[in-house]
Amino acid sequence: MEAIIEVDGLRKRFGRTTALDGMTFTVTPGRVTGFVGPNGAGKSTTMRVILGLDMADEGTALVGGRPYASLRNPLGHVGALLDAAALQPSRKARDHLLWLAHSQGLTARRVDEVIELVGLRSVARRKAGGFSLGMRQRLGIAAALIGDPPILMLDEPSNGLDPEGIVWIRGLLRSLAAEGRAVLVSSHLMSELQDTAGHLVVVGRGRVVADTSVADLIETASGGRVTLRTTARPEAMTALARAGATVAATGSDTLTVSGLPAERVVTLLAEDAVPFSEVAAHRATLEEAYMDLTRDAVDFRAAGQEAAR
Amino acid sequence: MRRELHAEWTKLRTVAAPGWLLLAVVALTAAASAGVAATVTCPPAGCAYDVPKLGLVGVQLGQAVVAILAVLVIGGEYGTGMIRTTLTAMPRRAAVLAAKAAVLTGATLAAGTAAVLASMLAGRLILPGNGFVPAPGQALLSLGDGPTLRAAAGSVLYLALVALLGLGVATAVRESAVAIGVVLGLLYLFPIVIGMFADEGWRHLLYAIGPSTAGLTVQVTTGLRELPIGPWTGLGVLAAWAAGALLCGGLMLRARDA
Repeated sequence: MEAIIEVDGLRKRFGRTTALDGMTFTVTPGRVTGFVGPNGAGKSTTMRVILGLDMADEGTALVGGRPYASLRNPLGHVGALLDAAALQPSRKARDHLLWLAHSQGLTARRVDEVIELVGLRSVARRKAGGFSLGMRQRLGIAAALIGDPPILMLDEPSNGLDPEGIVWIRGLLRSLAAEGRAVLVSSHLMSELQDTAGHLVVVGRGRVVADTSVADLIETASGGRVTLRTTARPEAMTALARAGATVAATGSDTLTVSGLPAERVVTLLAEDAVPFSEVAAHRATLEEAYMDLTRDAVDFRAAGQEAAR
Repeated sequence: MRRELHAEWTKLRTVAAPGWLLLAVVALTAAASAGVAATVTCPPAGCAYDVPKLGLVGVQLGQAVVAILAVLVIGGEYGTGMIRTTLTAMPRRAAVLAAKAAVLTGATLAAGTAAVLASMLAGRLILPGNGFVPAPGQALLSLGDGPTLRAAAGSVLYLALVALLGLGVATAVRESAVAIGVVLGLLYLFPIVIGMFADEGWRHLLYAIGPSTAGLTVQVTTGLRELPIGPWTGLGVLAAWAAGALLCGGLMLRARDA
């Protein structure tokens, strides 16, 4: 099966709220695709629709060209971790993986392999209900990997992991992608994806607002602006504004200039004898780029988080 | 379907609760049967007790535990959210419900058989001491007797059908507490409501459509003529309830978001 997820024109309403509003994107093999957006942007709903758990009102979601529900041994095609708490707490971790293995025609041997892979061997015979969030997250990843699938889909996998766990999962995701798998990872924190994702699907209010490589996104957000460091801020602002630039103060001694190339900025300041210590092309952080894109798409700004569904 | 069955069987045997509940079905049924047998007496002049029905009376208590077990088989998954893991691993929802039904039926039939045999053994040991004597040439509560065998085998099937009713209701309402309330209500309220009606026509109608009243006629061996419904037809009424609940649950499971 080809390792590809194709989401096309998904629409879904829950009562009066529109959860998905024409969600369209493709996840291709060999790289980690970050799926980012504010809480309530439709990331989890999209993932549930891809897995056939929720039905879309309109549009299609295909994995390897087929609807998920038609797959004979689905975990051999797609491994998913949506909710690490979605297990029965009174069952031992190994037994949780065992029934999953049996549901795919796999044996206990594969169970022990994935337990080893996620580092849960010492606690495999303990009840999953006593696990910390980080351990449950690892158990969920073991479950996602049980069928050795070419497609992986993880919803906020770093949630609850300690720093060591976060480093571990980043490495795991990168190596899974390097093996040629398609990996879709959602997060509401761009910084979490900065080192992992090569491609980004940014969503807000149920639709895609940007589908781009990380490099391009930063390029666009930087927008040819220039950062200027000077102790003579008012003089610099006057000189540059006179030449038609838009100047914004971004710190006690820094200005961000747009509308003029860096060279012209240097010339203008030299002409007016304005002292400065640094002129550099502005480099937006991924976080800034993301804030620019989703500014209009935040439903619950400073009004609490979306209730976990 | 084989994989769904294997997975559901693994689920059932890897948590402690189902095993304890099945044990409770046997223990409570036998204990209640024995307890009732110990408190009835038959004077030397003879008595009008329906001995097989008397010996199997504990089924009326055991059915509650069967209902709880059945509800938890799927209600527990809705409570924890594991149903989404289940349906991700096994997207054919009707097959998942069928597999759950099959595994639950098997477990209930095994526990039900043990419960019924233990009840009959208790009756055979206790009842003769309280003045009950078998008909000439027959043992008391003997499975060699046609109607007694029907009452015993029917009681095992009755418990299995109660389990399927519970599974169907729990699949439809998705909430363990609500489902247990609905199923126990169906099982225990019909006899009470029947008592509130003075009119014989209504009483007969309610008796014939109540899942427990109709279903338990399969235990009756005397005075069948006066009952509004026959033993196997009565069990058929319970089967219809169970089938209806499973069908409703199955259709809703397929149609709804998980």
